[in-house]
Amino acid sequence: MKPTRLRAILTCLALVPVLLWTLFPIYWITTASFKTELTLYAKPPQWLFTPILDNYTRVLTNIPFVQYLKNSLIIAIGTTLGSLVLGTLAGYGFARFRFRASEAVRFLVLVTRMAPRMVLVVPYYLMMQRLGLLDTYTGLLVAYISFALPFSIWLLIGFFVDVPLDVEEAAMIDGCSRLGVLLRIVIPIAAPGLVVAAIFAFLVSWNEFLFALILSGVEAKTLPVVIAGLNTDAGPLYGEMSAAAVMVMLPNIVMTLALQRYLVRGLTLGAVKG
Amino acid sequence: MAAGRAGRWFLLPGLVFLFAIDLIPLAYSAWVSFYNWWLIRPRDVRFVGLANYTRMADDPEFTRAVVVTTLFTVGAVLLEFLVGLLLALLFAQPLKFLGPIRVLLLLPLFVVPVVGATMWRVIFHPEVGVLNHYLAAIGLGPLPWLSEPRLALVSITLVDAWRTIPFMFLVIYAGLEVLPAELFEAAAVDGASAWQSFRHITVPLLTYIMLLAVLIRGMDAFREFDIIFVLTGGGPGTATQTIQILNYRAFGLGHMGEANAIGIVTLIIVAVLCFVLMRAVLRPQAAR
Amino acid sequence: MRIRSSFGYVVVALLVVLSVAFSADEPVMAQGKTITLSMLAGYKEDVLRASLPDFEKKTGIKVVVDAAPFGDLYKKQLLSLSTGAGRYDVVFVDEPWIPPLSEFLLPLNERMKTLDLPDFIPTTVAAGAFNGTQYAVPVDPNVQLLVYRKDLFEAKGLKPPATWDELIADAKAFHDPSKQQYGIAVTASSDIQTALYMLLAIWSYGGELVDVNGRGALNSAAGKKGGEMFLELLKYTPPNVKSYNFADVNKAIQLGQAAMAIQWASGARPMEDKTRSSVAGKLGYAQVPKAVRQTPMRGVWTLAIAKNSTNQDAAWQFATWLSGKDFGTAAVKYPSATSAIHSPRYSVLKDTGTKAALPYADALLDSLQITKERPRLREYADIQENLRVTAGKLTAGELTLEAALKEIDAGTNRILGK
Repeated sequence: MKPTRLRAILTCLALVPVLLWTLFPIYWITTASFKTELTLYAKPPQWLFTPILDNYTRVLTNIPFVQYLKNSLIIAIGTTLGSLVLGTLAGYGFARFRFRASEAVRFLVLVTRMAPRMVLVVPYYLMMQRLGLLDTYTGLLVAYISFALPFSIWLLIGFFVDVPLDVEEAAMIDGCSRLGVLLRIVIPIAAPGLVVAAIFAFLVSWNEFLFALILSGVEAKTLPVVIAGLNTDAGPLYGEMSAAAVMVMLPNIVMTLALQRYLVRGLTLGAVKG
Repeated sequence: MAAGRAGRWFLLPGLVFLFAIDLIPLAYSAWVSFYNWWLIRPRDVRFVGLANYTRMADDPEFTRAVVVTTLFTVGAVLLEFLVGLLLALLFAQPLKFLGPIRVLLLLPLFVVPVVGATMWRVIFHPEVGVLNHYLAAIGLGPLPWLSEPRLALVSITLVDAWRTIPFMFLVIYAGLEVLPAELFEAAAVDGASAWQSFRHITVPLLTYIMLLAVLIRGMDAFREFDIIFVLTGGGPGTATQTIQILNYRAFGLGHMGEANAIGIVTLIIVAVLCFVLMRAVLRPQAAR
Repeated sequence: MRIRSSFGYVVVALLVVLSVAFSADEPVMAQGKTITLSMLAGYKEDVLRASLPDFEKKTGIKVVVDAAPFGDLYKKQLLSLSTGAGRYDVVFVDEPWIPPLSEFLLPLNERMKTLDLPDFIPTTVAAGAFNGTQYAVPVDPNVQLLVYRKDLFEAKGLKPPATWDELIADAKAFHDPSKQQYGIAVTASSDIQTALYMLLAIWSYGGELVDVNGRGALNSAAGKKGGEMFLELLKYTPPNVKSYNFADVNKAIQLGQAAMAIQWASGARPMEDKTRSSVAGKLGYAQVPKAVRQTPMRGVWTLAIAKNSTNQDAAWQFATWLSGKDFGTAAVKYPSATSAIHSPRYSVLKDTGTKAALPYADALLDSLQITKERPRLREYADIQENLRVTAGKLTAGELTLEAALKEIDAGTNRILGK
């Protein structure tokens, strides 16, 4: 265990540039939200300045921000749950039940993600319009789950396949059903995979702009569309955009903090030994 | 394991949903690509067979866009994969202080792409941007980040990497965390070095995850739009004009047939590349 | 045990989300007196929303506003109108979109007679017409202006340039890269503004994008001269002008880097905003310089009614109000630091309150009387797109001027089927 000290130091050294590179723009956006545009573009760059809250107040008063936040949250949570449920089931199905066309069907699942999204806009628009789902939560949910599902399925296949078969067989001999095995044994072991799938689905929905723009407008309008609207024909409103972006980041951070303890190894050992 | 009847029930919900919602629109899109459909003339829709496709093949702008897109995709994915892998390995170590830092690393993913790209434009600003200010101070700049054709391509790759390295890191890290610790302990007992452990245990077991990460990222980079559009709009000239930007232009003008043809060609290119990559990497693996 | 209860939570959460989602699907619209407007998001939307309650109180008509960002508004409108989806009763359209959208819009010739037309600047009304039929009422006219630093010009004892030769001479006089001072700010990127600057230059020298026979006419003596002058002007611009867009031109002025700029009137307010501009109050506004002729480019935002709207009378009431004097006066004075809605009416633009709110009101009014419009063709968007890309290639050095002009004309002819 002697190398640990050295390792810790080397790791720190390696991490410093990475964190700097990763966090600097975030820092810049955050500070921009408290600056006037003149300060933002000041030369030399101002690291110390008097913060203003104007950007935040303008964003919150000009736009019914809370309503759009609610829309985005509902749709994002719905997308996450929907793709987790469907993805877990399908992922397990592919992992444990091989049939002749397995590989082909799996590839087909991925194919849906290979076309540029724009190509799907008109068919989705027409489809939602016929079904009366334009500008509704359901419409966007359906679209977003279909975006998040392919990756979720493929990712979970990978994690489920890694679960040792003997553990499952032992449980089934003990009288557990397939579904029970999935729920009680496989999911705990593959928890990190589910966390990634959940975060991914949440982000797909949360940041998605194009379909939110086309398929919604008034009732189901989401935050990315609102933020894009701050890119006006007279130029971007840097202060307001930054303020909006910071507020939009927060739910993601909360969600990740909540989920991240499942990302760690500890859970898996417990399940296997048990 | 044989395909039990139970298997059907697991697969059906997801597959039915996906194929109904995605494959049918894709088929529709392919069908439209054989027509000349201009949105401003909805009654003047004509069947033109492969005309949209042949026009693309003859168009030097399209060929250039393919080159630009490929350069961008390869550069971005390579960079993101390598850095993501390194970070995942770093974080897989049992060092206590790594825990809280993980979330920090994921932050770029939480920024709405349009805002991220807009802020990078501010950072890249030739005269008063932070980057050029300090580069000039140490004598390395200022650099024309977005106005020099080749540098513009590098810039968009950097911004994309900034945004997506966290994703690669997340996926590979999760994969690492699931690897049974006993394997590594046994190897350590047998006297294997860290590199040998990595090469003979980690890589084979993680191949699927790493391949998936590369594939997904590759597909997304090939279709990347928001960041490039905000940063350069395809410019200067056509230096960063990707296939997606061409697609956006065609779509924005209401040329449905052309836009869909571009989309279908993209689909085919990506599908072929993915197929080749999957065969190359997964075949040598023992059948699971 | 833990997983089972967690699963229970998941199911419950899923049910809650779905039930909320479904319950929120109830349409909000009341019958009859509700109209849906497709609007431009941002400050224009803010200005509208500020005055909307007055309209709703006065007429009892409820207006549902569906706002989309500038880059995507046309797409959204086109999609809805072309597929007959019927989502909008009224649409806020930029004038170049009127020819292509015209077949989906309600002709307004008869209804226009109920407006007090003499108060409207004639060119703004023309912006809403196509092939002799009026399809939209003007709401927010915009025009290219010359912006200049009054203080710098006074210091050198110069007057703002009236001709293109003077423009280039003045730009040269103020151009001092060692002090980070540049003559003029325009764009030289693949942004649409670059193409419009070049077109302005070519127009000024007598050139045309499309001639009377519907053929590309840019590759002419006038076209070459105008193109050359534009390229000459680029010598006195900030470096990296090859990545500039509309906002960057503003920035160059705001940061005190450029002595002049050619910019749309809608970009003036940010230049006068103290929290964004270090030269607020030091700017002067004039008409764009002339060569053979003076041709400030016109861009009017208008309001049109969808042909398949079921609320045409209510829609017309809204159109009347939006182009009316009350809204115009309130709009101009709305305290938005981003920009303003400029009324198309003489009475509003000549009003002293307006002149106080908009320092460029005089230049705006004068320019609006002599504007030149871009070709009124259904295919114009495609022609402009080709112009944009080729102008971008020209300034990036991928093409010579001669080749660029030829390519633009070739594209125009191909698009128009000649």
